[in-house]
Amino acid sequence: MTVGDGVKAAALLFVAAVAQVSIFSQVHVFGAVPDVLLVSIVALALLRGSVVGAVGGFFAGLLVDTATLGTLGLTSLVLTLAGYWIGRYGETTGRDRAHAPFLSVAVVTVLYQFGLLVVHFVLGESAPAGAVVRSLIPAIVLNLILTAPIYALVRRLLRPPARDELSAEVQLLG
Amino acid sequence: MLASSVQRSKPTPYPSKARSALIRRAVVVLLVIVALALITISFRSPTAGALHDIQGAGSTALRPFQIAATRVAQPFRDAYDYFANASSAESENTVLKRRIAELRLEVLHNRELAIKAQQDERLLHLEQGSRFPADYQAVNAEVTSFPSGPFAHNIEIAAGSSSGVRLNSPVVSGDGLVGIVTNVEPQTAVVTLLTDPSTFVAARDLQTQIRGMLHTGPGGTLILDQVPKALRVRVGDALVTDGTHNARYRDLYPYGIPIGRVSHVGATDTAPFLQVQVTPFANLGSTDVVGVLVPKKPHR
Repeated sequence: MTVGDGVKAAALLFVAAVAQVSIFSQVHVFGAVPDVLLVSIVALALLRGSVVGAVGGFFAGLLVDTATLGTLGLTSLVLTLAGYWIGRYGETTGRDRAHAPFLSVAVVTVLYQFGLLVVHFVLGESAPAGAVVRSLIPAIVLNLILTAPIYALVRRLLRPPARDELSAEVQLLG
Repeated sequence: MLASSVQRSKPTPYPSKARSALIRRAVVVLLVIVALALITISFRSPTAGALHDIQGAGSTALRPFQIAATRVAQPFRDAYDYFANASSAESENTVLKRRIAELRLEVLHNRELAIKAQQDERLLHLEQGSRFPADYQAVNAEVTSFPSGPFAHNIEIAAGSSSGVRLNSPVVSGDGLVGIVTNVEPQTAVVTLLTDPSTFVAARDLQTQIRGMLHTGPGGTLILDQVPKALRVRVGDALVTDGTHNARYRDLYPYGIPIGRVSHVGATDTAPFLQVQVTPFANLGSTDVVGVLVPKKPHR
């Protein structure tokens, strides 16, 4: 990953985080909120791998926690794991499949929601499992709607990596 | 050649794949540890400490960007709110209109029930009163149809011969005499009202004990006829049924059923009787429930 790509990725995540806390957090559809930041991290991790995904998730989460004056590190923890996990998928040949971004976003939306729920529960904060479960399907649908344009934008910003850059590539069969 | 030593290639400490995996894992573990540390510090001192100050400073630094984003999104949000409010107001309006219609029906129904309850109560009061004829019992019935026009003087009730209703049974409401049964079916009966020109009732003035024959006069008003001019009847006097005076000729109406009140008394030089107009106690056109007086022992 070049310095230019790093700057672009940081700018992208910064804009996504600010947009998430300022704009998208107020859009409630059937109890769910579209998560433009999560989708951006998924797109970045798919295109640039697990390390970039984890680091991006960490700092983006830190921005969100700072902006919302929430428990610092909480969103970072969950987004770090999400970025890392999707990044690992992005390091396989499976990332080239057309459904890869959509599948990743759907799965990560579920894991992200439950991850946040678990962390809040462990910290003894309010963890409304019923509300999370009820808003899960709308949240997946909203994030899937965002996936195509955001993935296209990130792909346009960051050129796809060359084969030799993916030293840890794993070939998926089937 | 054979004696010469063979140069061995320099061993690489780690293959590149293994090294990148190590770096990858180290990075993610480090980030998770830092995140956990941040959570711990932030959770233990949420309102004070260096981390809180840094977070506050970061939040302040981010504020302009957030305000800018909010301003950029404001027109879109306004447009969304406009359409959302318009559609919700429309649906709310529909719901409220439906609710108003339901409540209006409910009010009407309750009012109807209240009126009916009052009528039931008055009827019960009449039937349990001391002036109710002792050798009669009441068969209470709902009125199922009312007079259809100014020339109709019949009502239909939801009780018939199966309930003990017989032809020529007197019919009362809570206020007084209504009419007489003129047709009986097993489940229904037709009651001819006092206002029918064919109905004649022997009546007595409770105050003066003057007797006369009540029937419908010209113009549809009830009149007490056959009262000699020499007798005095006063406006406001109450009339009741006169009842039977001769056991051989039993009257259709037992004694003491309230009929109405004298509303006008007049006399002319040529007429031999007084002209006594009577206003019936019972509201003949809109009584919902009536009692049919059935003799306890059948008359011979």
